Amino acid sequence: MTEPAETAGPSGDPDRQHWLIGGRRVYFDIDRFLWDSQDWSEELAEIMAREGGLGQLSETHWKVLRFIREFYLSNGRAPRNRPLKESTGLSMREIEELFPEGIKLGARRIAGLPASIKRICD
Amino acid sequence: MNDRLIYLDNAATTFPKPPGVLDRMVETYGRLGASPGRGGYDLAMEAEELVAQTRMKLARFFGATDPERVVFASNATDALNLAIQGIVGPGDHVVSTRLEHNSVLRPLYHLKERGWIDYDLVPFDGQGFIDPDDVVRAFRPNTRLAVVSHASNVLGTVQPVPEIARLCAERNVPLVIDVAQSAGHVTIDMAAWRVSAVAFTGHKGLMGPTGIGGLVCSPELNVSSTRFGGTGVESRSPIHTQTFPHRLEAGTLNLLGIIGLSAGIDYLQIEGVDRLHQREMTLFRRLREGLASLPRIVVYGSTPGDSHVPLLVCNVEGFNPSDVGAILDGDYQILVRTGLHCAPLVHADLGTDPRGAIRFSLASFNTDEDIERTLEAMADLSGKG
Repeated sequence: MTEPAETAGPSGDPDRQHWLIGGRRVYFDIDRFLWDSQDWSEELAEIMAREGGLGQLSETHWKVLRFIREFYLSNGRAPRNRPLKESTGLSMREIEELFPEGIKLGARRIAGLPASIKRICD
Repeated sequence: MNDRLIYLDNAATTFPKPPGVLDRMVETYGRLGASPGRGGYDLAMEAEELVAQTRMKLARFFGATDPERVVFASNATDALNLAIQGIVGPGDHVVSTRLEHNSVLRPLYHLKERGWIDYDLVPFDGQGFIDPDDVVRAFRPNTRLAVVSHASNVLGTVQPVPEIARLCAERNVPLVIDVAQSAGHVTIDMAAWRVSAVAFTGHKGLMGPTGIGGLVCSPELNVSSTRFGGTGVESRSPIHTQTFPHRLEAGTLNLLGIIGLSAGIDYLQIEGVDRLHQREMTLFRRLREGLASLPRIVVYGSTPGDSHVPLLVCNVEGFNPSDVGAILDGDYQILVRTGLHCAPLVHADLGTDPRGAIRFSLASFNTDEDIERTLEAMADLSGKG
């Protein structure tokens, strides 16, 4: 990921910043969750993963990320714990260990779930 | 409930409810589900009698002198809004504490932002207790109200309300206490303590359903109406009924919730609040000691003494608390609440902001096995298992 261009986006929201990626502005919140989930791509996920302390994403990472992503696109929310576990065949502990930033701030972030989802249930 | 689930989120809402509560709700509502206080036919009057009996039951339960001053609301937040907005006016000052839930912090902030009031929040000590002298030291000549959480929903500490109430009464400042986390766990005696009002919810320690709570006021407390509408009396007047309890109630009451709350109180009185509390605290001490003995687990707040309800917060080093909650749920079927628990200032002072912590909160239905399985899970997480 390239360097942040400024600390606040056009809305002036202090929680919003943009990064220049491939010459295009992509907006994130303070925890580096995408502001607009539509900006997500697998290429961006790889960049976000590296920036979050992960190396190359493995097939196991992608199994988790694709399930979270597809679930979000179908349901408008993050998957619950049990469907995530059953669909990936991994325990929650194993999923947590796959991502240095954990499940809710790591896997969900790299899967491109938006900042608005992150704010629920704090 | 699924036999494999271990429910340790009783500070959010108690689950399951005692045997008989749901049955009585269904049976009584099915038989008496007319509009209480709104008709001259027998069924409506019977429903109203049931409401009046529940007011009496609650007055006795909280040590209040006048059942007419038991006002029903949706929950403790709703009741606190009734109290705060009905007591203070422009130019007034309020004293509260940094232990409060957003049910107090947000109404106060809202009124301050509108330029109506100012307020000060008293800090808690390293053990999670408020010093009563700090409360009165924060008083100003225009202090009109003090609001104190009886038991912290993060630290579980029960505050020295009798002493705070005495000091407030000597200075003629009404004291409203939020008993959302203490009611049903510790005995509350409004009149003896000289508390001006108690804001309660029905669905936690009182073992009723969600959607019912209330404000119990002392006869001396003046609370203005902040909601207006039908009360079933004085219908020709455009002015909202000013006698209690109608003064603070508007619209048809939640009869189903009142029936459930009444059944919950009956359960507590049959079983005994003190006896149930002793049982849950025995389990709680075992849980706290077990967690504190594990590596990489930080338990916050004081070692539970007599002034405690059965809840604690902790963190596991290296884990986001919300992920610990997800792992406990997904891998161990243990249900806990993580995050800031709607009490952001407590977490700020503990140093656990912004991620918060993991809260374990018990009720008398929890078992030794629940605690042992929870400790095994946490030992796995902490790397010991």
